[in-house]
Amino acid sequence: MNTQFIGEHLWPGQLGHFFAIISFVGALFSAISYFISVKAEKNNVALSAQWQWLGRGSFIVHVLAVFGIFSTLYYIIAGHLFEYHYAWEHSSLTLPTKYLLSCFWEGQEGSFMLWTIWHCVLGLIVMRTAKVLETRTMAIIALVQTCLATMLLGFYLSADSRIGSNPFMLLRMQMQGAPVFQMANYMSFIKDGNGLNVLLQNYWMVIHPPILFLGFASTLIPFAYCIAALWKGDYQLFVKPALNWSLFAGGVLGTGIMMGGAWAYESLTFGGYWAWDPVENASLVPWLVLVAGLHTLLVYKATKRTLTITFILFLLTYCLVWYSTFLTRTGVLGNTSVHAFTGEGSSLYWHLLVVLGILLSLSVGLLVYRWKSLPKIKSEEEISSREFWMFIGSFVLLLSGMEIIFATSLPVWAPLYKWLTNKDIAPPVNPVLQYNNIQVWVAIIIGVLSASILYLKFKHTNMKTVLKHLGITAGIAVVIGLVIGFGQKIDAWQYDILLFAACYAITANIYYAFVVMKGRLKQLGPSIAHWGFGTVLLGILLSSYNKQTISFNTLGMVMDFGKSASENARESRENVLLFRNRAVAMGDYFATYRGDSTSPSDPRTFYRVDYERRDSVTHEIKESFTLYPDAFINPKGQQGLVANPASKHYLTKDIFTYVTSVIDPSKRTDTSTYKSYMVHKGDSIFIDNEYIVFKGFNADIKDPRYAAQQGDIAVAAQLGLYNYDGLVQDLNPIYLIRNQYESTIDDTAKKLGIYVRFSKVIPAQQMAEIQVRQTNPKDDYIVLKALQFPYINVLWLGVIIMVLGFFISLFNRATAKTVVVSIKGMKIEE
Amino acid sequence: MKRTHIVLLLLVAAAVCVIVSMFGNFSTYETFASAGKQPGKAYHVIAVMDKSKGTVYDPQVDPNHFYFYAKDKAGNENKVVFNGAKPTDIEKSEQLVMKGYIQDGTFHCSGIQMKCPSKYKKDMVVEGNAS
Repeated sequence: MNTQFIGEHLWPGQLGHFFAIISFVGALFSAISYFISVKAEKNNVALSAQWQWLGRGSFIVHVLAVFGIFSTLYYIIAGHLFEYHYAWEHSSLTLPTKYLLSCFWEGQEGSFMLWTIWHCVLGLIVMRTAKVLETRTMAIIALVQTCLATMLLGFYLSADSRIGSNPFMLLRMQMQGAPVFQMANYMSFIKDGNGLNVLLQNYWMVIHPPILFLGFASTLIPFAYCIAALWKGDYQLFVKPALNWSLFAGGVLGTGIMMGGAWAYESLTFGGYWAWDPVENASLVPWLVLVAGLHTLLVYKATKRTLTITFILFLLTYCLVWYSTFLTRTGVLGNTSVHAFTGEGSSLYWHLLVVLGILLSLSVGLLVYRWKSLPKIKSEEEISSREFWMFIGSFVLLLSGMEIIFATSLPVWAPLYKWLTNKDIAPPVNPVLQYNNIQVWVAIIIGVLSASILYLKFKHTNMKTVLKHLGITAGIAVVIGLVIGFGQKIDAWQYDILLFAACYAITANIYYAFVVMKGRLKQLGPSIAHWGFGTVLLGILLSSYNKQTISFNTLGMVMDFGKSASENARESRENVLLFRNRAVAMGDYFATYRGDSTSPSDPRTFYRVDYERRDSVTHEIKESFTLYPDAFINPKGQQGLVANPASKHYLTKDIFTYVTSVIDPSKRTDTSTYKSYMVHKGDSIFIDNEYIVFKGFNADIKDPRYAAQQGDIAVAAQLGLYNYDGLVQDLNPIYLIRNQYESTIDDTAKKLGIYVRFSKVIPAQQMAEIQVRQTNPKDDYIVLKALQFPYINVLWLGVIIMVLGFFISLFNRATAKTVVVSIKGMKIEE
Repeated sequence: MKRTHIVLLLLVAAAVCVIVSMFGNFSTYETFASAGKQPGKAYHVIAVMDKSKGTVYDPQVDPNHFYFYAKDKAGNENKVVFNGAKPTDIEKSEQLVMKGYIQDGTFHCSGIQMKCPSKYKKDMVVEGNAS
């Protein structure tokens, strides 16, 4: 069957696939070259150098090929070449240009490619900077790149099993069964693509995935340095680069995770920035373990202790990154995840397991091989020493990560549990509560440790002055904690302790920065990072503990934080119906839905909701604002809406609203009719929420709607439309006799759906017949949910401070001269 | 034995206790019948919506009341009440994972997770509040 298909562009796909193969071969050859170079290092330096050059060259070829794949795929998506499955599946003609990049990471292949690209960039930096360790670290990086390159190969072993998936697959190849692809001119039927998932059409989704993947990618570098150190048996050279790279990774990954939170907060409707969803947990756990490793490495650098655990933590971090990929990409989470990605079939499942197996066996194998020879210090550390508590803190972080990953992995071990107990285990009915109840203790321990640790010195601390400093700052923290605790009504005792821990971390580190360190910015990295961490804890506590649903009539509902079982069982009734132009009380506000609007350049429908806060006595408007929550109506062939929240940001709180349901426009009917009223001058007509005052007749009509003619008898009724706050507008319907025929020119108040007609004059009694029609406000409504997050800005601020701390540390360490330290270190080792 | 080791052992012991105690919180996947044996206790039920019986959601009457009928894995059908707005596209779902409890023969659910045809990427949508 050799149909000649019309209108296809085949060369980009062939070129792209060619690049994919080159990238695989290049990475593989680079890994092997570097490996041979390491082997030849001792006996044949010249040969080793040659292989090193080959390794470098082939890695650069690999990098070029990866960028080739990227450019080709971008060309296909940007050119709307829908004969390619990837473009058809993830983009459409109407997609704004700024979201073209988001198409990459909607699909599995694009995500892997993003990851690969960052590895390439970081790999080139390591190649230039690793010096003695270059061959070993690059061998590992090239090995990982080989594994990643196989993800894009799309090499079929049989009809059902394949290695990797080729992003340059043609649509007709992907859907071979469909009859349309039997036709040579099938391209003329495929006018548009499937479009990008509307949830990804958000600016956070343009920036969040690249940052997150840079974070994931940068955990490879400490991993590679640890493997290199174990491989070479040299436990000095790796310290400085591993420390710098883990600081970099910690800062970037932390940013990426919180950007995910910001995206969830702004564009998802599960009402928050963190839901302990498996996808979120899967990115948090590597970060926790990485930060633990960073701290034990600091201990090792200063005291030569905790080397083994440092290796374990860094190796584990990178294995966890792959395990996370396995959890979130293979569909193994099945029923438990909110936004888990569709399972890509068993091929990817086994593929990821094999890669994970390679990384794990490499890590465990080398550790076991070197276990006996790893330097260990026999003596005990003092309880007053910094290393003792740092080690404990790191271990608590590790345990916290293990708890989270264990609970997240429930679907993975559930079959084993079923085999043991014959029960189908499911996640807790309220998983958020379970995580919060456990992790609050971790947060307390880490909070107190990050407050006090910097006052302690390595090896031995003179406790007298330290206790004075710690006492003063703890005292301040207690006072601040009490003020906030009473002010914010935080009554659950464990959260009061957390409040203290957070305040303590903040005060102690600010005090440390200014009083002990005298504000020398360059050396303030650790205290700023710890201060930021305390602020993050405080922000989480304040914004989540008193999160309120204000579209719910009863106030003060505490969410997911240690409520009793009976309260938890209470049904939530959090949606409120807003008829058009009818104000509804919502917390301190009155909300009024004013109608919807669309724009030709935007696929969304916007719903205008006015908010007013009035003084309870004088009823004066204290404050008013308008929010436009929007929604995609019937996106991507779905029925119904996908809502985007809109928030009013205050310094101290956010009002967060989104539309949960709207009236079906086909059911919108206008059945209202005119009602007649006979009025004298000064009479009022009362309608729904407004009233109309008849102010008198006016025979001198100056109205653009009326053009006078000879013999006309015309008179206008002067009407005033009023509501609660006073005059809304004047209405001037006209009564007209022309050529002996009666006619009327009506007037309307469009916004309120009010139509008035001046239908009759009774001159003898100075009366007018006014007819009024008001469209039924029940013909247009939205269902809205509104939440209030107090002090959420504290959280965002905390994240910024913490990440800043990471980068100040990185800058300080990267520019410091550590030659002396490492010479000293060698002596200790001997 | 070093001091550190003792502290570590204590921490590990605490962690093990925490993980064991977690099992008390885990829910189980049940059918309507088995969930009905303990009315008021919340479980997970996996079911398929009965599309022939339609759905009822009229926000003008109550914006927090949506009900439909679903058939569980054992093939038994039950009325399901969800206190919230009607989830988008529920008619197209292939499978529902619902959290809730049986009361007076009705399944009251606090959260519905839908599995929709895989044509749409990222097909898991959660609706409702898990409180």
